[in-house]
Parts: sequence; C-alpha cells; structure tokens
Amino acid sequence: MIKNYFLRHLQTLFFSLGQMARAPLATLMTVAVIGITLALPTGLYLLLDNLQRLSGGWDAGVQISLFLKQDIGDAEAGRIAERLRAREEIESVRYVSRQAALAEFKRLSGFGEALNLLDENPLPAVLLVRPKPAHGSPQAAAALARSLGETRGVDLAQLDLEWVKRLNAMLSLARRGVILLAGLLGLAVLLIVGNTIRLAVLNRRTEIEVVKLIGGTDRFIRRPFLYSGLLQGLAGALTAWLLVALSLALLGGPIADLADLYGSGFRLAGLGAAQGFSLVLGGGLLGWLGSRLAVGRHLREIEPA
Amino acid sequence: MIQLTNVSKRYPGGYDALKDVSFELAAGEMAFLTGHSGAGKSTLLKLITLIERGSRGQIVVNGKNLARLPRRRVPYFRREIGIVFQDNKLLNDRTVFDNVALPLIVSGVDHGEVGRRVRAALDKVGLLNKEKLHPIVLSGGEQQRVGIARAVVNKPPLLLADEPTGNLDAELSDEIIDLFHEFHQHGVTVLIATHDLRQVDRLEKRRLMLRAGELIYDSGRDA
Repeated sequence: MIKNYFLRHLQTLFFSLGQMARAPLATLMTVAVIGITLALPTGLYLLLDNLQRLSGGWDAGVQISLFLKQDIGDAEAGRIAERLRAREEIESVRYVSRQAALAEFKRLSGFGEALNLLDENPLPAVLLVRPKPAHGSPQAAAALARSLGETRGVDLAQLDLEWVKRLNAMLSLARRGVILLAGLLGLAVLLIVGNTIRLAVLNRRTEIEVVKLIGGTDRFIRRPFLYSGLLQGLAGALTAWLLVALSLALLGGPIADLADLYGSGFRLAGLGAAQGFSLVLGGGLLGWLGSRLAVGRHLREIEPA
Repeated sequence: MIQLTNVSKRYPGGYDALKDVSFELAAGEMAFLTGHSGAGKSTLLKLITLIERGSRGQIVVNGKNLARLPRRRVPYFRREIGIVFQDNKLLNDRTVFDNVALPLIVSGVDHGEVGRRVRAALDKVGLLNKEKLHPIVLSGGEQQRVGIARAVVNKPPLLLADEPTGNLDAELSDEIIDLFHEFHQHGVTVLIATHDLRQVDRLEKRRLMLRAGELIYDSGRDA
C-alpha cells in the first residue's frame, strides 16, 4: 500500500519532468525568470553579509579611553587599572601616564616646541581599556564605557565608536530593505509559477474534464501540477545559486586585489552550503505554493459539461 | 440500480429541461432512452452522473441518494459508473493503452494489475492489437470501442452511454450496440440515450421516451 503510494508519486514526478522536457523553451524561460528573481535578494543578502564581516573586523579594535582626574597619581592610577583588569568584560588595560601622554602628543602632533612653553603638563593620564570580543559590539561597548565613566577617579570615558554605530545602523536598515525586497520578489515568484501553472491547467482542460468524469479526485488531478511547480521552483533556485556564484567569481578577483591594497586579508564569502540549501528549499516551497494557489483556483472552474 | 422520483431540472433563466420524471431501472436491466434532440436525454444522464444536480425530486443510483452526496465523494461515486460519450472524449496525446488504463490509474490500481485488466478490456472490444496506437489514427468505430473499453475496464455495475452511435454508420452502430448488449448479458446495468430508433427496434429492450422534458412512454421491464 505504502509502496504503491510512493510508486504513484514517483510516476507523477517523472510525468511532470516529461511534460517540462516536452516544452523545453517555455520551461527554460520560466526557470530563468525565477532564477533571476531569486538571485537578486540572494546577491544583496550576500553583499550585506560580507559588509558585516568587514565591519566585524573593525569592531575588534574597539577601545575605551578613560581620562583620569588631574589629582590621580601614578600609584593610584595603577590601583584603578588593577581593579579594571579584574572585570570580566575587559581584555586588557594599558596605562599612559601624564608624562608619556605628553611625550606621545609632542611626537605625533608637531606642536612639540609650543608645548615646551607651557608651565605644566595640561594632559591627563589615560587608561586605554580594550573590551573582550564578546563585549565588543557597539551597544555593549557603549554600556561598558558608561559604567567605567562612573568609576572613582575617572573624569571622562570616551568611546570612539560613532562611525561604527552609524555603519551598523545603515547595515540594519539595508538588511530590513533586503528582507522587504526578498518578500516582494518571493511574491513575484509565486505569481510567475502561478501563471505558468494556470496556463498549463487551461491547456489540459479536456484532460482534466475526462479525468473528473472517470472518477479522478481533485488531489489526483492536482498532483502533477504541484510537482511541476515544485520542480520549476527548485530549478529556479538552483539557477539563482549559479548566477550568484558566477557573479562572485567575477567580483572575487578585483575585490581581493583592492583588499590587498588596503592591507586587508578580506575575501568575498560565497553562499555556504546551509544558505544554499535554504535558498533551494525556499525556491521549491514558493513553486509548490504558487502552483497550489493557481490549481486550487482553476480546478473548480473546470467541470465536465 | 437507478431510481428517479419526480425529478425536475430547471436551468437558470427558467428553462425546464426535465419535468417530474420518475422511473426505476433494476440491476442488470438494459434500456434505451429515446427522444428528439433537446428532449432531455443528455440532461437526464448528467443528473445520474452528478455532472449536474437536479432542481427537485430524488435520484438514487447504486443505493446512493445523490442529493446527499457531498462534492468530495463524487469522484468515488463516478468510479461505479462507466460512461460512453458521443464524441468518445479520448485523450489524443496518449496511446490507446494509456487511455483505457486511465480509470485504473485514477483509482490507484496496482501496476501489474493495470496491464492485465487493460488488455482484458481491449480484448473484449476487439482492439488488443491496437494498444500502442494513438486514438487519432483509429477509425470512428474503433475510437468508440476504445471509449467503451475505458468505460468497462473498472468493471462498473452500471454503464451509461450518450448517443454512442451518433457519429457512426449503420453497420458500425450495430457492432457498438451489440457490444453493450454483451455487457448487459454479463450482468451489467446498461442505459443508452439514443435517437437511433433502428437500434431500439432491433434489440427489443425496455424503452423510455422523453418529449420536451417529460417521460411520455415507458415500455416497462424488458418489453
């Protein structure tokens, strides 16, 4: 009984494949349209994914500068640094004394001579705090900076992260946009498959009437259409995967060159196996659903007369 | 097998295709349904096969009250009826074998069983050697016989035919009607709608006559 059931499904599958093979041009065009439609959001998703990875590399460089009050001496500063190192969010703390800060400033700013004219060192001592990677996200780092700012002896905690925050805000906006676009294009795939299947249903009107007359259930009549919708969706998703992989192969070289020029080891990441599998699964699902909607609507209209 | 009680069918617009028709066809009986075109023969067959539903009255076929049969049960109900059409309704993109096999495939008959039963049905209508051909290359009489093979391959207890000889010459018509008679002799209930009175006279079976939607004559069982 169960063997029979699978056999019948297998027969329907091959019947649908045969039907598609008999109209290769129409099938190819539908599959190509679905492929391009799915490739667009997939490509954008990958772009965002890569940007995220790129900016993720920058997140690791998050550093909080704690400017100490003027009356804190070296010994006191050392004790504060020691207490900070004990905190679990913090990776390392480096102490820059007032003298060291002044020397560095003279070296880097070019105001060396002018500074010599000052009676006393105007620069505060600084503790450079580097959070652990787990606490390196903009939100966590900002929270840490706020908390450190209230430490006794600390005048000001400064987190130079504004631009990373802005980039991340833009990325999450773009991600929202891609999701929206993916939704719309998914709907487009639904309509494309729906329309193809609608035409197929109308083309086989006579056959459907005859099958209804000799006692074919709706489920039986629906089955081959559902299979061809599923197959078109799957083939379209595979095409999308191929298109994205091709585009990446074309862009990969120049991007690697560019990254090397900036001294970065960044490389474009392609679609992983899990992501590719989700794409194919989603494509198949959309094809099946589009077909189901179209067949459901038109099957009732076709009654023998 | 078929029982009609005060059945009427009114189409939208007020046209009465059938008016208060009552008759009973016993299991194993054979009958001709006659009348001019538009007398209501086709409508009657459509009501019996649930292609359409009656406006009034009760129809019981093979023990089932059609008014109480929900839409989803209709396919299973139709598997108990073999239907032959004037235009035979064969599918021209498939072989004779596949056409005849369709009712078996539809009801999920075992693969090996399909071949055996299709060949048995084709043998009965004398077309065993044509199973690989497409219906389009067959003559009109042969096509109609393929249609009959498809109608009986499921071994239904009831066989209905709507003008099965409408497109055939006298000699081929005789062959087709004789084929139906043969099934009747094997115990199948047969109802044939036709305006070919020659066949009706030739076989001397029960005769039901419709005129303008009314049953005006019933010769009674096996006149």
